[in-house]
Amino acid sequence: MGILENAFLKSLWVFHLATGSCNNCDIEFLDCLTPRHDIERFGMLLTGSIKHADVLLVTGAVNRQCIPRIKRLYEQMPKPRLVVAIGECALSRGIFVHSYNCPMPLDHVIPVDVYIPGCPPKPEAIIAGLVKLIESRKAQTTQGKP
Amino acid sequence: MNRQELLQELRERFPNQMIRVFEKSAKRVYVEIKPEAIVRVAEYLFREIGARFNIASGVDGRDHMEILYHFTVEEIDLVISLRVTLPKTKLEINSLTSVFTAARWIEREIHELLGINFIGHPELKRLLLPEDWPQGVYPLRKDYQEWDPNAVRDRGV
Repeated sequence: MGILENAFLKSLWVFHLATGSCNNCDIEFLDCLTPRHDIERFGMLLTGSIKHADVLLVTGAVNRQCIPRIKRLYEQMPKPRLVVAIGECALSRGIFVHSYNCPMPLDHVIPVDVYIPGCPPKPEAIIAGLVKLIESRKAQTTQGKP
Repeated sequence: MNRQELLQELRERFPNQMIRVFEKSAKRVYVEIKPEAIVRVAEYLFREIGARFNIASGVDGRDHMEILYHFTVEEIDLVISLRVTLPKTKLEINSLTSVFTAARWIEREIHELLGINFIGHPELKRLLLPEDWPQGVYPLRKDYQEWDPNAVRDRGV
């Protein structure tokens, strides 16, 4: 594992995108940032600009107005980039699966690295998902190397 | 003025336009009126009674469409809903934007979701639907059909 990859996995900056969610997943994610769960011990920090972000964190069902905006945000992210879908709505649209305004789930719009199910997922589940993301990324980059 | 006096005055002022008064509860009354009279009744409630316009809601019924205009009279703690039924063959009604500008956005939304034409609205274009939504497709109608061939409607499990 090179120094860049090492630094990347120890300081993931997170950009939080709510695509019209009911705010419950957003509250649970904000709980992760509080001292009780303290996601910063894994080096994660909430950032206000997509251009500083390593992780795009999406909550809420993707609707028609959102699709071009999500694509634009994803294109603005510097590489390497990761996408995390949080909650049932981002995964499969939940109760909005037959809605006229939600034509497709998030992974039909942009590639998703981690799915965290739940309505809403607990902060522990979000942290477990993010740690799994780091671990699998580490395993990928150290594979085949001494 | 109390609730009974208000309803009595409505009956006296608009004797031929009132169809039905349904007293739902202590704070709620539905007044069904003819569609032609909506501007005059709304003007009376808004200008003379001092009622506040909350919102309007459109309903697609079995054989007609309905619009409910919800007003609050705060002094007497009452919500008045003016109910108007429109036949499906002639979906148009006079716009209330000449009485209060607060009606502009909700009339645009009812127009895009149910396809009701508001006569006299200064800019009757879409409010919330995306640009690539096809013309003449109204998603909250009962006979709405999926039009997008790319839509995914299963959960993938």
